[in-house]
Amino acid sequence: MPLKLNINQQTYELDADDDMPLLWVIRDFAKLTGTKFGCGIAQCGSCTVLLDNAPIKSCVLPASAAVGKQITTIEGISENNDHPVQQAWIEEQVPQCGYCQSGQILTAVALIEGNPQPSDEEIETAMNAVLCRCGTYPRIKKAITKMTRK
Amino acid sequence: MNTHSLSRRKFLQVSASSSVLLAVGCTPGSTGKPINLSSEGMTGASINQFITIATDGAVTLLNHRPEMGQGVFQSIPMILAEELAVDVEEVEIKQSEADPERYGRQMVVGSHSIQNEFHKMRMMGAAAKEMLIQTAADRWQVAAAECYAEKGRVIHNSSSRSANYGELVEDASKRTAPTEPALKSPADFEIIGQSIPRRDIPLKTNGAAIYGIDVDVPGMLYASVERSPVFVGTIKEYNREEVMKMPGVRHVLKTERDLFGRREGIAVLADTYWAAFQGRKALKVEWDTKGMESQSSETIASRYMTQADDEGTELFSRGDADGALSAGDGVIEAAYVTPYQAHVPMEPMNAIVSVTSEGAEFWGSTQNPNGTRSYLAKILDIPEKRVKINYTLMGGGFGRRSRTDVAEEAARLSQAVGAPVKVIWTREDDQTQGPFRACSLNLLKGKVTGGQVEALEHKVITQEIRNQTGDKMEAGRQIMGGVNTHYSIPNLSVRGVLQKHYIPISYWRAVYHSTNPFAHESFIDELAVAAGKDPLDLRLELLQDHPRFRRVLEEVRVLTDWDRQKVAGKGRGLAIAERSGAHFAMVVDVSRKAGKVKIDRITTVLDLGICVNPDTVRAQTEGSVIMGLTAALYGLTIENGAIKEQNFHTYPLLRYGQCPEIETFILPSSADPDGAGESGLPTVAPALTNALFDLTGNRIRKLPLSLEALV
Repeated sequence: MPLKLNINQQTYELDADDDMPLLWVIRDFAKLTGTKFGCGIAQCGSCTVLLDNAPIKSCVLPASAAVGKQITTIEGISENNDHPVQQAWIEEQVPQCGYCQSGQILTAVALIEGNPQPSDEEIETAMNAVLCRCGTYPRIKKAITKMTRK
Repeated sequence: MNTHSLSRRKFLQVSASSSVLLAVGCTPGSTGKPINLSSEGMTGASINQFITIATDGAVTLLNHRPEMGQGVFQSIPMILAEELAVDVEEVEIKQSEADPERYGRQMVVGSHSIQNEFHKMRMMGAAAKEMLIQTAADRWQVAAAECYAEKGRVIHNSSSRSANYGELVEDASKRTAPTEPALKSPADFEIIGQSIPRRDIPLKTNGAAIYGIDVDVPGMLYASVERSPVFVGTIKEYNREEVMKMPGVRHVLKTERDLFGRREGIAVLADTYWAAFQGRKALKVEWDTKGMESQSSETIASRYMTQADDEGTELFSRGDADGALSAGDGVIEAAYVTPYQAHVPMEPMNAIVSVTSEGAEFWGSTQNPNGTRSYLAKILDIPEKRVKINYTLMGGGFGRRSRTDVAEEAARLSQAVGAPVKVIWTREDDQTQGPFRACSLNLLKGKVTGGQVEALEHKVITQEIRNQTGDKMEAGRQIMGGVNTHYSIPNLSVRGVLQKHYIPISYWRAVYHSTNPFAHESFIDELAVAAGKDPLDLRLELLQDHPRFRRVLEEVRVLTDWDRQKVAGKGRGLAIAERSGAHFAMVVDVSRKAGKVKIDRITTVLDLGICVNPDTVRAQTEGSVIMGLTAALYGLTIENGAIKEQNFHTYPLLRYGQCPEIETFILPSSADPDGAGESGLPTVAPALTNALFDLTGNRIRKLPLSLEALV
């Protein structure tokens, strides 16, 4: 029986095992490659997606656990790269290599979703979930601060 | 001037069929304009290999250096645009094919791209501009000297006649390129020196950027490879039949790659990555571990220490350090230790290769497209022209992606099974298999007499990247990278004791500059204490004949208010270094609150010549500082002959909340650019430990250090 997932408000019927981590189903079956493999043990956050608006590490979540829920990947947060978080990221020139940035951006999207003016501590708690090797943290801080303290 | 490549220029209608490049992403940019990095489908006349202009005046500039986050995709075209006199916001930027005969060397290492290409790209832009001006002058029957170019047009001074580049390009491209075109004065630069938003960034905010790991080649199989935990292990037995029965598994076979010696592995190939990985987890491999289990960080450290008295090789000498250090009082000694480090690009290592009877094709993220081509040709025993390299954006490199071992795995597997193969390494593979930044022992000996530094000996005991295999047992100059011989100490000696063993090492951001300056700049601090001098004053005193070091020191003194009174509960430390021509000084501010030590601020002052795109240089410095700080706080250890830390839970990267305030000041300069990709990294560890000494009175001489352990 195909695996039925709702990704970015589209229904996908995929011929994948339902114990396969959601990450690999999104990448190799739904062919949405913006979600990245980084560590496989929920430590780095490159694989972050939103599950009913909450950020989760898709590399350790069996795809079956996402059935019936709304999955949002980086490709699903705006049509034209114009979500306020994306715009703040472009304005502050945040990405270097860019590989972890889907996870960074989705984490920031979830952070400001229910809390448009998070405190420094709330920003820190949220953003500690995603690692960046290039060292874009100072610019992530600037982007989120600018966006939330207007 | 590369006249050879200019003379190869020819009129060329570039069409979709003549330029087959991997599409690396297409998305609306911040301006809503579509961005497609691939040069496929480029139209117009190529005035030289980097510049193509369509008859409507649309300009396309090529970047030929792989992009790994360093910003070269924007910076190389900025240099071309400056001399070509076009509006950089209006041009299209595309990534070139991998073709060293056409574009020159494409490897991205050692912060070389801008340093090496600055003059060549200016010449390319300026020559093209002269060809366009000459074409217009001939058409108008006026002297070229009466014409100038601006924003993609040639203008005649006195008659105000003008022509768009598009109207001129077809004729211009048939002219012979001038070998000595006039270059702009740096004072007249309008593009170089401006912080221009990077075109690759919008691709990296919506998931459109394509990295090697994202490439999908029809018919490809996925491979996950189990490799020897002790680097040199060979395979005795494995349970092939059992793993072959697992769902989706197509092949289970032995493979190998070269990484300073042959490294064996068992590959599981399957229809999906997950199936390949599950198959790999079910492997039971019996390794001949060659007795390496007895090796550990402790055995390696004690072996290095037993060679502390070895004379080694003299790598640099001035005066008579040995004589000065063996007589009289005032001699101080210290030993500094650094651990192995992994590169840890966020994109795990991967490669796709398809080997057919026609040749071979590679897709992937590589710092070394040209070396990958020649190496695959060599191991497959086919001519280089039958190997096609498709390089993508890289999810970080840091030196790791300059090696060709992963491409070799994919090539050997593809050849064996007759299908394209995508090899994906796990994070554990990345951290435990190497190559690594070498561990090192640095022994320092100095003498201070009457407040003057009279002698210094710096002995580096480590492995050498260029000398890991073969019989040469003497250390070479490579291992003294970052030892500052410019200090005017009358008796100075730098020696090296070569270590050779089974753990593979390679280039890691800043290379030996990531370890040696920790020892050297900490010890300069120790000498300042012994001499009763301020560490900044001592450095200025010893660098009187070195204006660039003096400049960054004097600026950092002002910018960090260095001469302010010492405050209880706060400490600060200083270090300087030169890397890839860039000179920089760094001050680290630390404090203790409620018994906890915190790094408050890291300030870097840089003199690195002309900055093509200053915001990119700032970003590179921020990244270097954070990578240097991560390496000061975390490291790898060897246990039972293997790397102990398997993944991020035991070998962490710095997280958002641990990041101190980072301030970067770039000093104005009209000198040619120095390398910007590693600036700041070498000084973090010594400036930090010097600051911690200032705060606590305790000198830290071994990395990694633990802030939590400090009281």
